[in-house]
Amino acid sequence: MKRRKPREIVLQALLALLLGFVTLTMIIPLLNILAKSLSSPETSIGMGGLEIFPRKLDFLNYRIVFSHPVLMASLWNSIFVTVVGTLLNMALTCSAAYVLTRPNLTLKKPLMVFLIIMMLFDPGTVPEYLVVKDLGLMGSRWSVILVMSVNVYYLVILMRYFEKVSPAIVEAATIDGCGHMQMLFSIICPLSQAGIATITMFYAVVRWNEYFRASIYIMKATDTVLQVILRQFVVLGDTISMVGQQNLFNYNDIARMDYSALKDATIVVAIIPILLIYPVVLRFYARDALAGSVKE
Amino acid sequence: MKRNLPRKLWSERTLYLMLLPTILYFVLFHVLPIWNMRLAFYRFSVKSDWTFVGLKYFRMIFGSPEFFRILKNTLVISFMKYVLLFPCFVVFAILLNELWSNGFRKYVQVVSYLPHFLSWVVIAGIWISMLSLQGGWNQFLSFFHIPARDYMTDRSVIRWVLFFCEGWRSLGWDSIIYFTAIIAINPSLFEAAEIDGGGRRVIIRHIILPALITPMVTMFILNLGFFLNAGFDQVLNFSNDAVLSTIDILDTYIYRIGIQNGQYSLATAVSLIKGVVGMVLVFGTHVVSKRMTGTGVW
Repeated sequence: MKRRKPREIVLQALLALLLGFVTLTMIIPLLNILAKSLSSPETSIGMGGLEIFPRKLDFLNYRIVFSHPVLMASLWNSIFVTVVGTLLNMALTCSAAYVLTRPNLTLKKPLMVFLIIMMLFDPGTVPEYLVVKDLGLMGSRWSVILVMSVNVYYLVILMRYFEKVSPAIVEAATIDGCGHMQMLFSIICPLSQAGIATITMFYAVVRWNEYFRASIYIMKATDTVLQVILRQFVVLGDTISMVGQQNLFNYNDIARMDYSALKDATIVVAIIPILLIYPVVLRFYARDALAGSVKE
Repeated sequence: MKRNLPRKLWSERTLYLMLLPTILYFVLFHVLPIWNMRLAFYRFSVKSDWTFVGLKYFRMIFGSPEFFRILKNTLVISFMKYVLLFPCFVVFAILLNELWSNGFRKYVQVVSYLPHFLSWVVIAGIWISMLSLQGGWNQFLSFFHIPARDYMTDRSVIRWVLFFCEGWRSLGWDSIIYFTAIIAINPSLFEAAEIDGGGRRVIIRHIILPALITPMVTMFILNLGFFLNAGFDQVLNFSNDAVLSTIDILDTYIYRIGIQNGQYSLATAVSLIKGVVGMVLVFGTHVVSKRMTGTGVW
Protein backbone atom coordinates (compact mmCIF):
# COMPACT_ATOMS: atom_id res chain seq x y z
CA MET A 1 0.00 0.00 0.00
CA LYS A 2 1.55 3.25 -1.06
CA ARG A 3 1.05 6.63 0.60
CA ARG A 4 -1.61 8.86 -1.00
CA LYS A 5 -0.99 12.54 -1.48
CA PRO A 6 -3.58 14.90 0.06
CA ARG A 7 -4.43 16.21 -3.40
CA GLU A 8 -5.20 12.68 -4.58
CA ILE A 9 -7.45 12.09 -1.58
CA VAL A 10 -9.44 15.28 -2.28
CA LEU A 11 -9.84 14.32 -5.95
CA GLN A 12 -10.96 10.81 -5.01
CA ALA A 13 -13.54 12.23 -2.59
CA LEU A 14 -14.89 14.54 -5.33
CA LEU A 15 -15.06 11.61 -7.76
CA ALA A 16 -16.93 9.47 -5.24
CA LEU A 17 -19.32 12.39 -4.63
CA LEU A 18 -19.96 12.80 -8.36
CA LEU A 19 -20.61 9.11 -9.00
CA GLY A 20 -22.63 8.90 -5.80
CA PHE A 21 -24.81 11.75 -7.07
CA VAL A 22 -25.32 9.93 -10.39
CA THR A 23 -26.54 6.82 -8.58
CA LEU A 24 -28.84 8.94 -6.41
CA THR A 25 -30.58 10.23 -9.56
CA MET A 26 -31.35 6.60 -10.29
CA ILE A 27 -32.33 5.46 -6.81
CA ILE A 28 -34.34 8.43 -5.51
CA PRO A 29 -36.99 8.52 -8.29
CA LEU A 30 -37.61 4.79 -7.86
CA LEU A 31 -37.82 4.96 -4.06
CA ASN A 32 -39.99 8.09 -4.31
CA ILE A 33 -42.48 6.25 -6.50
CA LEU A 34 -42.48 3.28 -4.13
CA ALA A 35 -42.96 5.56 -1.10
CA LYS A 36 -45.84 7.48 -2.66
CA SER A 37 -47.57 4.31 -3.80
CA LEU A 38 -47.39 2.94 -0.25
CA SER A 39 -48.71 6.08 1.45
CA SER A 40 -52.33 6.79 2.23
CA PRO A 41 -53.94 9.10 -0.32
CA GLU A 42 -54.33 12.07 2.08
CA THR A 43 -50.61 12.16 2.73
CA SER A 44 -49.28 11.11 -0.67
CA ILE A 45 -50.84 14.18 -2.33
CA GLY A 46 -48.62 16.48 -0.30
CA MET A 47 -45.47 14.39 -0.72
CA GLY A 48 -42.49 15.94 -2.45
CA GLY A 49 -40.53 14.40 -5.26
CA LEU A 50 -37.48 13.70 -3.11
CA GLU A 51 -39.16 11.83 -0.24
CA ILE A 52 -38.17 8.19 -0.08
CA PHE A 53 -40.15 6.96 2.94
CA PRO A 54 -43.92 6.41 2.89
CA ARG A 55 -46.06 8.65 5.07
CA LYS A 56 -48.78 6.69 6.85
CA LEU A 57 -48.36 3.23 5.35
CA ASP A 58 -51.47 2.24 3.39
CA PHE A 59 -51.95 -0.44 0.71
CA LEU A 60 -55.05 1.19 -0.79
CA ASN A 61 -53.33 1.88 -4.13
CA TYR A 62 -52.28 -1.74 -4.47
CA ARG A 63 -55.72 -2.98 -3.44
CA ILE A 64 -57.17 -0.91 -6.29
CA VAL A 65 -54.55 -2.10 -8.78
CA PHE A 66 -55.07 -5.77 -7.91
CA SER A 67 -58.86 -5.53 -8.05
CA HIS A 68 -58.92 -3.52 -11.27
CA PRO A 69 -60.38 -5.87 -13.93
CA VAL A 70 -58.54 -4.30 -16.89
CA LEU A 71 -55.23 -4.08 -15.06
CA MET A 72 -55.43 -7.65 -13.83
CA ALA A 73 -56.36 -8.95 -17.29
CA SER A 74 -53.46 -7.03 -18.83
CA LEU A 75 -51.10 -8.30 -16.13
CA TRP A 76 -52.00 -11.90 -16.98
CA ASN A 77 -51.64 -11.15 -20.69
CA SER A 78 -48.20 -9.70 -20.04
CA ILE A 79 -47.16 -12.81 -18.13
CA PHE A 80 -48.55 -15.03 -20.92
CA VAL A 81 -46.82 -13.05 -23.67
CA THR A 82 -43.55 -12.97 -21.72
CA VAL A 83 -43.47 -16.69 -20.85
CA VAL A 84 -44.76 -18.10 -24.15
CA GLY A 85 -42.90 -15.48 -26.19
CA THR A 86 -39.58 -16.12 -24.47
CA LEU A 87 -39.97 -19.89 -24.87
CA LEU A 88 -40.65 -19.42 -28.59
CA ASN A 89 -37.69 -17.02 -28.87
CA MET A 90 -35.36 -19.51 -27.21
CA ALA A 91 -36.60 -22.53 -29.20
CA LEU A 92 -36.01 -20.74 -32.52
CA THR A 93 -32.84 -18.89 -31.50
CA CYS A 94 -31.14 -21.96 -29.99
CA SER A 95 -31.81 -24.22 -32.96
CA ALA A 96 -30.84 -21.49 -35.45
CA ALA A 97 -27.64 -20.72 -33.52
CA TYR A 98 -26.82 -24.43 -33.42
CA VAL A 99 -27.31 -24.89 -37.15
CA LEU A 100 -25.37 -21.77 -38.06
CA THR A 101 -22.39 -22.69 -35.87
CA ARG A 102 -21.92 -26.14 -37.46
CA PRO A 103 -18.57 -26.10 -39.27
CA ASN A 104 -18.76 -26.77 -43.04
CA LEU A 105 -22.48 -26.02 -43.28
CA THR A 106 -22.90 -25.58 -47.04
CA LEU A 107 -25.29 -22.63 -47.04
CA LYS A 108 -23.81 -20.83 -44.02
CA LYS A 109 -22.64 -17.72 -45.86
CA PRO A 110 -25.87 -16.96 -47.81
CA LEU A 111 -27.96 -17.67 -44.69
CA MET A 112 -25.90 -15.23 -42.59
CA VAL A 113 -26.14 -12.55 -45.29
CA PHE A 114 -29.91 -13.08 -45.39
CA LEU A 115 -30.20 -12.72 -41.59
CA ILE A 116 -28.04 -9.60 -41.47
CA ILE A 117 -30.10 -7.93 -44.19
CA MET A 118 -33.22 -8.87 -42.20
CA MET A 119 -31.70 -7.21 -39.15
CA LEU A 120 -30.59 -4.02 -40.90
CA PHE A 121 -33.53 -3.34 -43.20
CA ASP A 122 -36.59 -2.30 -41.24
CA PRO A 123 -39.69 -2.42 -43.46
CA GLY A 124 -41.49 0.01 -41.20
CA THR A 125 -44.71 0.04 -39.25
CA VAL A 126 -47.35 0.05 -41.99
CA PRO A 127 -46.04 -2.83 -44.21
CA GLU A 128 -45.77 -5.02 -41.10
CA TYR A 129 -49.21 -3.92 -39.91
CA LEU A 130 -50.71 -5.00 -43.25
CA VAL A 131 -49.07 -8.45 -42.99
CA VAL A 132 -50.41 -8.97 -39.48
CA LYS A 133 -53.84 -7.95 -40.76
CA ASP A 134 -53.64 -10.31 -43.77
CA LEU A 135 -52.58 -13.22 -41.56
CA GLY A 136 -55.68 -12.65 -39.43
CA LEU A 137 -53.64 -12.04 -36.28
CA MET A 138 -55.25 -8.68 -35.50
CA GLY A 139 -56.54 -8.45 -31.94
CA SER A 140 -54.80 -11.65 -30.85
CA ARG A 141 -51.96 -11.90 -28.35
CA TRP A 142 -50.25 -14.13 -30.91
CA SER A 143 -49.65 -11.12 -33.15
CA VAL A 144 -47.25 -9.68 -30.58
CA ILE A 145 -45.73 -13.08 -29.80
CA LEU A 146 -45.09 -14.12 -33.41
CA VAL A 147 -43.95 -10.76 -34.78
CA MET A 148 -40.88 -10.77 -32.51
CA SER A 149 -39.90 -14.45 -32.74
CA VAL A 150 -36.17 -14.05 -33.47
CA ASN A 151 -33.82 -11.17 -32.77
CA VAL A 152 -30.79 -11.47 -35.07
CA TYR A 153 -28.59 -9.51 -32.68
CA TYR A 154 -29.27 -11.96 -29.83
CA LEU A 155 -28.87 -14.87 -32.26
CA VAL A 156 -25.36 -13.67 -33.12
CA ILE A 157 -24.47 -13.32 -29.41
CA LEU A 158 -25.68 -16.87 -28.76
CA MET A 159 -23.65 -18.13 -31.72
CA ARG A 160 -20.53 -16.68 -30.07
CA TYR A 161 -21.24 -18.81 -26.97
CA PHE A 162 -21.98 -21.95 -29.02
CA GLU A 163 -18.73 -21.52 -30.95
CA LYS A 164 -16.79 -21.80 -27.69
CA VAL A 165 -17.92 -25.39 -27.10
CA SER A 166 -14.91 -27.59 -27.82
CA PRO A 167 -15.17 -29.32 -31.25
CA ALA A 168 -13.57 -32.43 -29.73
CA ILE A 169 -16.62 -33.02 -27.52
CA VAL A 170 -18.98 -32.55 -30.48
CA GLU A 171 -16.90 -34.94 -32.57
CA ALA A 172 -16.79 -37.58 -29.86
CA ALA A 173 -20.57 -37.36 -29.46
CA THR A 174 -21.08 -37.67 -33.22
CA ILE A 175 -18.98 -40.83 -33.30
CA ASP A 176 -21.12 -42.21 -30.48
CA GLY A 177 -24.14 -41.72 -32.75
CA CYS A 178 -25.53 -38.51 -31.24
CA GLY A 179 -28.11 -36.80 -33.52
CA HIS A 180 -28.43 -33.06 -33.98
CA MET A 181 -31.38 -32.51 -31.64
CA GLN A 182 -29.75 -34.56 -28.89
CA MET A 183 -26.47 -32.74 -29.48
CA LEU A 184 -28.17 -29.36 -29.03
CA PHE A 185 -30.13 -30.27 -25.91
CA SER A 186 -27.74 -32.51 -24.03
CA ILE A 187 -24.35 -31.18 -25.07
CA ILE A 188 -24.30 -27.67 -26.56
CA CYS A 189 -26.94 -26.04 -24.32
CA PRO A 190 -25.63 -27.40 -20.98
CA LEU A 191 -22.12 -26.31 -21.98
CA SER A 192 -23.28 -22.77 -22.85
CA GLN A 193 -25.30 -22.09 -19.71
CA ALA A 194 -24.12 -18.51 -19.35
CA GLY A 195 -25.10 -17.73 -22.93
CA ILE A 196 -28.50 -19.40 -22.62
CA ALA A 197 -29.22 -17.57 -19.35
CA THR A 198 -28.12 -14.20 -20.77
CA ILE A 199 -30.16 -14.44 -23.96
CA THR A 200 -33.23 -15.77 -22.13
CA MET A 201 -33.12 -12.78 -19.78
CA PHE A 202 -32.65 -10.31 -22.65
CA TYR A 203 -35.62 -11.77 -24.49
CA ALA A 204 -37.75 -11.82 -21.34
CA VAL A 205 -37.00 -8.13 -20.69
CA VAL A 206 -37.89 -7.19 -24.28
CA ARG A 207 -41.10 -9.22 -24.05
CA TRP A 208 -42.13 -7.70 -20.73
CA ASN A 209 -41.37 -4.14 -21.87
CA GLU A 210 -43.08 -4.43 -25.26
CA TYR A 211 -45.93 -1.99 -25.72
CA PHE A 212 -45.85 -0.56 -29.26
CA ARG A 213 -46.83 -3.67 -31.25
CA ALA A 214 -49.49 -4.51 -28.66
CA SER A 215 -50.89 -0.97 -28.83
CA ILE A 216 -51.46 -1.11 -32.58
CA TYR A 217 -52.39 -4.79 -33.02
CA ILE A 218 -54.62 -5.31 -29.98
CA MET A 219 -57.53 -2.93 -29.55
CA LYS A 220 -59.51 -4.43 -26.68
CA ALA A 221 -58.33 -3.25 -23.27
CA THR A 222 -58.74 -6.68 -21.67
CA ASP A 223 -56.68 -8.41 -24.38
CA THR A 224 -53.67 -6.13 -24.28
CA VAL A 225 -50.56 -6.08 -22.08
CA LEU A 226 -49.72 -4.18 -18.91
CA GLN A 227 -47.33 -1.69 -20.56
CA VAL A 228 -50.10 -0.49 -22.91
CA ILE A 229 -52.49 0.14 -20.03
CA LEU A 230 -49.69 1.77 -18.06
CA ARG A 231 -49.01 4.03 -21.03
CA GLN A 232 -52.65 5.09 -21.11
CA PHE A 233 -52.49 6.01 -17.44
CA VAL A 234 -49.05 7.52 -17.19
CA VAL A 235 -48.26 9.07 -20.53
CA LEU A 236 -51.68 9.82 -21.96
CA GLY A 237 -53.15 10.70 -18.56
CA ASP A 238 -56.38 8.73 -18.92
CA THR A 239 -57.55 9.01 -15.31
CA ILE A 240 -61.17 7.95 -15.80
CA SER A 241 -60.50 4.43 -16.98
CA MET A 242 -57.70 4.24 -14.46
CA VAL A 243 -59.77 3.64 -11.37
CA GLY A 244 -62.01 1.23 -13.22
CA GLN A 245 -65.80 1.26 -13.29
CA GLN A 246 -66.07 -1.59 -10.82
CA ASN A 247 -63.84 0.00 -8.25
CA LEU A 248 -66.13 3.01 -8.09
CA PHE A 249 -68.61 0.76 -6.28
CA ASN A 250 -66.14 -1.39 -4.40
CA TYR A 251 -64.43 1.36 -2.47
CA ASN A 252 -66.06 3.90 -0.23
CA ASP A 253 -62.83 5.81 0.01
CA ILE A 254 -62.62 6.29 -3.76
CA ALA A 255 -63.39 9.94 -3.21
CA ARG A 256 -60.10 10.40 -1.43
CA MET A 257 -58.08 8.85 -4.28
CA ASP A 258 -54.73 10.27 -5.30
CA TYR A 259 -54.44 9.44 -8.99
CA SER A 260 -50.77 10.17 -9.12
CA ALA A 261 -50.05 7.67 -6.31
CA LEU A 262 -52.19 5.10 -8.09
CA LYS A 263 -50.07 5.63 -11.21
CA ASP A 264 -46.99 5.07 -9.08
CA ALA A 265 -48.37 1.77 -7.78
CA THR A 266 -48.93 0.61 -11.38
CA ILE A 267 -45.37 1.58 -12.29
CA VAL A 268 -44.07 -0.43 -9.32
CA VAL A 269 -46.03 -3.48 -10.51
CA ALA A 270 -44.43 -3.08 -13.95
CA ILE A 271 -40.92 -2.80 -12.49
CA ILE A 272 -41.00 -5.78 -10.08
CA PRO A 273 -40.44 -8.53 -12.71
CA ILE A 274 -37.46 -6.56 -14.03
CA LEU A 275 -35.97 -6.44 -10.52
CA LEU A 276 -36.45 -10.22 -10.23
CA ILE A 277 -34.59 -10.83 -13.50
CA TYR A 278 -31.87 -8.23 -12.86
CA PRO A 279 -29.60 -10.36 -10.58
CA VAL A 280 -29.46 -13.10 -13.24
CA VAL A 281 -28.37 -10.56 -15.87
CA LEU A 282 -25.69 -9.22 -13.51
CA ARG A 283 -24.50 -12.72 -12.68
CA PHE A 284 -24.13 -13.94 -16.25
CA TYR A 285 -23.74 -10.95 -18.54
CA ALA A 286 -22.09 -8.24 -16.47
CA ARG A 287 -19.88 -10.68 -14.53
CA ASP A 288 -16.61 -9.62 -16.15
CA ALA A 289 -17.29 -5.94 -15.65
CA LEU A 290 -18.35 -6.46 -12.03
CA ALA A 291 -15.28 -8.54 -11.24
CA GLY A 292 -13.31 -5.32 -11.69
CA SER A 293 -9.73 -4.78 -12.66
CA VAL A 294 -6.77 -6.67 -11.30
CA LYS A 295 -5.06 -4.08 -9.17
CA GLU A 296 -2.28 -3.89 -6.60
CA MET B 1 -17.88 -30.13 -56.57
CA LYS B 2 -21.00 -28.70 -58.25
CA ARG B 3 -22.35 -32.22 -58.87
CA ASN B 4 -22.06 -33.07 -55.20
CA LEU B 5 -24.00 -30.03 -54.01
CA PRO B 6 -27.50 -31.60 -53.97
CA ARG B 7 -26.13 -34.67 -52.22
CA LYS B 8 -24.32 -32.53 -49.67
CA LEU B 9 -27.44 -30.48 -48.97
CA TRP B 10 -29.46 -33.68 -48.61
CA SER B 11 -27.00 -34.98 -46.04
CA GLU B 12 -27.51 -31.76 -44.05
CA ARG B 13 -31.32 -31.96 -44.25
CA THR B 14 -31.86 -32.31 -40.48
CA LEU B 15 -29.99 -29.06 -39.93
CA TYR B 16 -32.08 -27.16 -42.49
CA LEU B 17 -35.21 -28.61 -40.96
CA MET B 18 -34.12 -27.17 -37.59
CA LEU B 19 -33.59 -23.81 -39.25
CA LEU B 20 -36.91 -23.89 -41.07
CA PRO B 21 -39.06 -22.18 -38.37
CA THR B 22 -36.61 -19.27 -38.19
CA ILE B 23 -36.55 -18.86 -41.97
CA LEU B 24 -40.34 -19.12 -42.08
CA TYR B 25 -40.58 -16.39 -39.45
CA PHE B 26 -38.34 -14.04 -41.41
CA VAL B 27 -40.18 -14.70 -44.66
CA LEU B 28 -43.56 -14.02 -43.03
CA PHE B 29 -42.70 -11.02 -40.90
CA HIS B 30 -39.77 -9.41 -42.75
CA VAL B 31 -39.77 -10.46 -46.40
CA LEU B 32 -43.53 -10.05 -46.83
CA PRO B 33 -43.49 -6.56 -45.25
CA ILE B 34 -40.58 -5.63 -47.53
CA TRP B 35 -42.67 -6.85 -50.47
CA ASN B 36 -45.53 -4.71 -49.11
CA MET B 37 -43.29 -1.65 -49.32
CA ARG B 38 -44.21 -1.40 -53.01
CA LEU B 39 -47.28 0.31 -51.56
CA ALA B 40 -45.17 3.48 -51.63
CA PHE B 41 -45.85 3.58 -55.39
CA TYR B 42 -49.52 2.59 -55.21
CA ARG B 43 -52.76 4.03 -53.86
CA PHE B 44 -54.05 1.75 -51.13
CA SER B 45 -57.46 0.14 -51.31
CA VAL B 46 -59.00 -2.48 -49.05
CA LYS B 47 -61.47 -3.96 -51.55
CA SER B 48 -59.95 -3.66 -55.02
CA ASP B 49 -56.36 -3.88 -56.24
CA TRP B 50 -53.93 -1.12 -55.45
CA THR B 51 -53.63 1.48 -58.25
CA PHE B 52 -50.18 2.44 -59.47
CA VAL B 53 -49.47 6.15 -58.98
CA GLY B 54 -45.72 6.30 -59.62
CA LEU B 55 -43.78 8.80 -57.56
CA LYS B 56 -46.82 10.75 -56.37
CA TYR B 57 -46.20 10.15 -52.67
CA PHE B 58 -42.50 10.94 -52.95
CA ARG B 59 -43.35 14.25 -54.62
CA MET B 60 -45.81 14.92 -51.77
CA ILE B 61 -43.11 14.20 -49.19
CA PHE B 62 -40.37 16.27 -50.79
CA GLY B 63 -42.84 19.08 -51.51
CA SER B 64 -43.97 19.47 -47.92
CA PRO B 65 -42.14 21.74 -45.46
CA GLU B 66 -43.38 19.47 -42.67
CA PHE B 67 -41.14 16.62 -43.85
CA PHE B 68 -38.02 18.79 -43.76
CA ARG B 69 -38.86 20.10 -40.30
CA ILE B 70 -39.23 16.50 -39.09
CA LEU B 71 -36.03 15.44 -40.84
CA LYS B 72 -34.21 18.32 -39.12
CA ASN B 73 -35.63 17.28 -35.72
CA THR B 74 -34.50 13.72 -36.35
CA LEU B 75 -30.98 14.77 -37.27
CA VAL B 76 -30.65 17.19 -34.33
CA ILE B 77 -31.89 14.63 -31.78
CA SER B 78 -29.69 11.91 -33.28
CA PHE B 79 -26.70 14.23 -33.16
CA MET B 80 -27.31 14.94 -29.48
CA LYS B 81 -27.79 11.26 -28.62
CA TYR B 82 -25.10 9.67 -30.75
CA VAL B 83 -22.42 12.35 -30.91
CA LEU B 84 -22.74 14.49 -27.75
CA LEU B 85 -23.79 11.73 -25.38
CA PHE B 86 -21.33 9.15 -26.58
CA PRO B 87 -18.18 10.59 -24.89
CA CYS B 88 -20.05 10.54 -21.56
CA PHE B 89 -20.06 6.72 -21.63
CA VAL B 90 -16.29 6.69 -22.16
CA VAL B 91 -15.72 9.22 -19.36
CA PHE B 92 -18.00 7.25 -17.03
CA ALA B 93 -16.03 4.04 -17.68
CA ILE B 94 -12.71 5.84 -17.01
CA LEU B 95 -14.02 7.46 -13.80
CA LEU B 96 -15.38 4.11 -12.62
CA ASN B 97 -11.92 2.64 -13.03
CA GLU B 98 -10.37 5.48 -11.01
CA LEU B 99 -12.39 4.62 -7.88
CA TRP B 100 -10.24 3.19 -5.10
CA SER B 101 -12.93 1.20 -3.35
CA ASN B 102 -14.00 -1.99 -5.13
CA GLY B 103 -17.19 -2.14 -3.09
CA PHE B 104 -18.26 1.38 -4.03
CA ARG B 105 -17.45 0.71 -7.68
CA LYS B 106 -19.63 -2.40 -7.64
CA TYR B 107 -22.45 -0.40 -6.04
CA VAL B 108 -22.23 2.29 -8.76
CA GLN B 109 -22.26 -0.40 -11.46
CA VAL B 110 -25.21 -2.35 -10.06
CA VAL B 111 -27.28 0.83 -9.71
CA SER B 112 -26.33 2.42 -13.02
CA TYR B 113 -26.99 -0.69 -15.14
CA LEU B 114 -30.57 -0.97 -13.91
CA PRO B 115 -32.35 1.84 -15.85
CA HIS B 116 -31.38 0.15 -19.13
CA PHE B 117 -33.87 -2.62 -18.34
CA LEU B 118 -36.86 -0.39 -17.59
CA SER B 119 -39.35 0.12 -20.40
CA TRP B 120 -39.66 3.59 -21.93
CA VAL B 121 -43.23 3.72 -20.64
CA VAL B 122 -41.95 3.31 -17.08
CA ILE B 123 -39.09 5.76 -17.62
CA ALA B 124 -41.51 8.32 -19.05
CA GLY B 125 -43.77 7.76 -16.03
CA ILE B 126 -40.88 8.35 -13.65
CA TRP B 127 -39.53 11.46 -15.38
CA ILE B 128 -42.86 13.08 -16.17
CA SER B 129 -43.48 13.25 -12.43
CA MET B 130 -39.83 14.05 -11.53
CA LEU B 131 -39.75 16.99 -13.98
CA SER B 132 -43.20 18.39 -13.17
CA LEU B 133 -43.54 21.68 -11.28
CA GLN B 134 -43.84 19.93 -7.89
CA GLY B 135 -41.47 17.15 -8.90
CA GLY B 136 -38.19 16.09 -7.38
CA TRP B 137 -35.91 17.86 -9.84
CA ASN B 138 -37.49 21.27 -9.27
CA GLN B 139 -37.31 20.65 -5.54
CA PHE B 140 -33.63 19.83 -5.81
CA LEU B 141 -33.00 23.02 -7.82
CA SER B 142 -34.92 25.10 -5.29
CA PHE B 143 -32.10 24.41 -2.78
CA PHE B 144 -30.00 26.56 -5.09
CA HIS B 145 -32.81 29.12 -5.54
CA ILE B 146 -33.37 28.18 -9.18
CA PRO B 147 -37.00 28.90 -10.09
CA ALA B 148 -39.22 25.93 -10.94
CA ARG B 149 -40.27 25.28 -14.50
CA ASP B 150 -42.30 22.64 -16.28
CA TYR B 151 -39.67 20.86 -18.34
CA MET B 152 -41.93 18.38 -20.10
CA THR B 153 -44.03 21.06 -21.81
CA ASP B 154 -41.23 23.56 -22.47
CA ARG B 155 -40.28 23.56 -26.13
CA SER B 156 -36.94 25.22 -25.50
CA VAL B 157 -35.61 22.47 -23.22
CA ILE B 158 -37.47 19.30 -24.24
CA ARG B 159 -34.65 18.07 -26.48
CA TRP B 160 -32.27 18.32 -23.55
CA VAL B 161 -34.78 16.37 -21.48
CA LEU B 162 -34.58 13.63 -24.13
CA PHE B 163 -30.79 13.88 -24.03
CA PHE B 164 -30.50 13.59 -20.24
CA CYS B 165 -33.09 10.83 -19.91
CA GLU B 166 -31.35 8.83 -22.64
CA GLY B 167 -28.09 9.34 -20.76
CA TRP B 168 -29.74 8.40 -17.47
CA ARG B 169 -30.95 5.15 -19.02
CA SER B 170 -27.76 4.19 -20.89
CA LEU B 171 -24.88 5.66 -18.88
CA GLY B 172 -24.06 2.47 -16.99
CA TRP B 173 -24.98 -0.16 -19.55
CA ASP B 174 -23.40 1.51 -22.58
CA SER B 175 -20.17 2.11 -20.66
CA ILE B 176 -19.70 -1.64 -20.04
CA ILE B 177 -17.96 -2.13 -23.39
CA TYR B 178 -15.38 0.56 -22.49
CA PHE B 179 -14.98 -0.59 -18.91
CA THR B 180 -14.26 -4.19 -19.96
CA ALA B 181 -11.72 -2.80 -22.46
CA ILE B 182 -10.00 -0.97 -19.60
CA ILE B 183 -9.84 -3.99 -17.29
CA ALA B 184 -8.47 -6.07 -20.17
CA ILE B 185 -5.36 -3.86 -20.30
CA ASN B 186 -2.23 -5.70 -19.20
CA PRO B 187 -1.56 -4.65 -15.55
CA SER B 188 2.19 -4.57 -16.19
CA LEU B 189 1.63 -1.48 -18.36
CA PHE B 190 0.23 0.38 -15.33
CA GLU B 191 3.10 -0.82 -13.13
CA ALA B 192 5.66 0.32 -15.69
CA ALA B 193 4.02 3.75 -15.90
CA GLU B 194 3.99 4.09 -12.11
CA ILE B 195 7.66 3.16 -11.84
CA ASP B 196 8.39 5.84 -14.44
CA GLY B 197 6.63 8.27 -12.12
CA GLY B 198 3.58 8.79 -14.32
CA GLY B 199 0.53 10.12 -12.47
CA ARG B 200 -3.05 9.06 -13.12
CA ARG B 201 -3.39 11.75 -15.80
CA VAL B 202 -0.49 10.30 -17.78
CA ILE B 203 -1.84 6.77 -17.35
CA ILE B 204 -5.30 7.77 -18.59
CA ARG B 205 -3.90 9.65 -21.56
CA HIS B 206 -1.26 7.25 -22.73
CA ILE B 207 -2.49 3.83 -21.61
CA ILE B 208 -6.25 3.86 -21.08
CA LEU B 209 -7.42 6.13 -23.92
CA PRO B 210 -5.46 4.31 -26.65
CA ALA B 211 -7.06 1.04 -25.49
CA LEU B 212 -10.51 2.59 -25.91
CA ILE B 213 -10.05 3.76 -29.50
CA THR B 214 -11.19 0.49 -31.10
CA PRO B 215 -14.47 0.10 -29.14
CA MET B 216 -15.13 3.83 -29.62
CA VAL B 217 -14.78 3.61 -33.40
CA THR B 218 -16.96 0.49 -33.55
CA MET B 219 -19.73 2.00 -31.42
CA PHE B 220 -19.61 5.34 -33.22
CA ILE B 221 -19.95 3.70 -36.64
CA LEU B 222 -22.71 1.41 -35.42
CA ASN B 223 -24.61 4.45 -34.13
CA LEU B 224 -24.20 6.31 -37.43
CA GLY B 225 -26.17 3.52 -39.11
CA PHE B 226 -29.13 4.28 -36.85
CA PHE B 227 -28.98 8.03 -37.35
CA LEU B 228 -32.49 8.28 -38.82
CA ASN B 229 -34.03 6.41 -35.87
CA ALA B 230 -33.29 8.88 -33.05
CA GLY B 231 -35.09 6.67 -30.52
CA PHE B 232 -38.76 6.23 -31.44
CA ASP B 233 -39.90 4.70 -28.14
CA GLN B 234 -38.50 7.52 -26.07
CA VAL B 235 -39.90 10.30 -28.25
CA LEU B 236 -43.34 8.67 -28.45
CA ASN B 237 -43.59 8.45 -24.67
CA PHE B 238 -42.06 11.84 -23.89
CA SER B 239 -44.08 13.85 -26.39
CA ASN B 240 -47.17 15.92 -25.73
CA ASP B 241 -49.03 18.54 -27.75
CA ALA B 242 -46.98 21.41 -26.35
CA VAL B 243 -43.62 20.07 -27.54
CA LEU B 244 -44.53 17.81 -30.46
CA SER B 245 -43.31 20.24 -33.12
CA THR B 246 -39.75 20.27 -31.72
CA ILE B 247 -39.34 16.53 -31.12
CA ASP B 248 -41.44 15.03 -33.91
CA ILE B 249 -39.11 12.56 -35.69
CA LEU B 250 -39.48 10.38 -38.80
CA ASP B 251 -40.71 7.33 -36.89
CA THR B 252 -43.35 9.22 -34.89
CA TYR B 253 -44.43 10.88 -38.15
CA ILE B 254 -44.76 7.48 -39.85
CA TYR B 255 -46.78 6.20 -36.90
CA ARG B 256 -49.06 9.24 -36.86
CA ILE B 257 -49.84 9.46 -40.59
CA GLY B 258 -49.77 5.68 -41.17
CA ILE B 259 -51.46 4.03 -38.22
CA GLN B 260 -53.44 6.92 -36.73
CA ASN B 261 -54.53 8.70 -39.94
CA GLY B 262 -54.60 5.63 -42.20
CA GLN B 263 -52.46 7.22 -44.96
CA TYR B 264 -50.75 3.89 -45.60
CA SER B 265 -49.01 4.78 -48.86
CA LEU B 266 -47.55 8.05 -47.64
CA ALA B 267 -46.24 6.43 -44.43
CA THR B 268 -44.74 3.55 -46.42
CA ALA B 269 -42.99 5.99 -48.75
CA VAL B 270 -41.36 7.67 -45.72
CA SER B 271 -40.38 4.21 -44.36
CA LEU B 272 -38.86 3.33 -47.73
CA ILE B 273 -36.74 6.50 -47.80
CA LYS B 274 -35.68 5.85 -44.22
CA GLY B 275 -34.89 2.19 -44.86
CA VAL B 276 -32.80 2.85 -47.95
CA VAL B 277 -30.84 5.70 -46.36
CA GLY B 278 -30.31 3.55 -43.25
CA MET B 279 -28.94 0.68 -45.35
CA VAL B 280 -26.61 3.02 -47.24
CA LEU B 281 -25.37 4.48 -43.94
CA VAL B 282 -24.72 1.05 -42.41
CA PHE B 283 -22.94 -0.39 -45.44
CA GLY B 284 -21.07 2.85 -46.08
CA THR B 285 -19.81 3.09 -42.52
CA HIS B 286 -18.98 -0.62 -42.53
CA VAL B 287 -16.76 -0.17 -45.60
CA VAL B 288 -15.12 2.97 -44.20
CA SER B 289 -14.51 1.19 -40.89
CA LYS B 290 -12.94 -1.81 -42.64
CA ARG B 291 -10.56 0.55 -44.42
CA MET B 292 -9.73 2.63 -41.37
CA THR B 293 -9.52 0.19 -38.48
CA GLY B 294 -9.48 -3.18 -40.24
CA THR B 295 -12.56 -4.27 -38.28
CA GLY B 296 -16.05 -3.83 -39.61
CA VAL B 297 -19.34 -3.98 -37.80
CA TRP B 298 -19.66 -7.68 -38.61
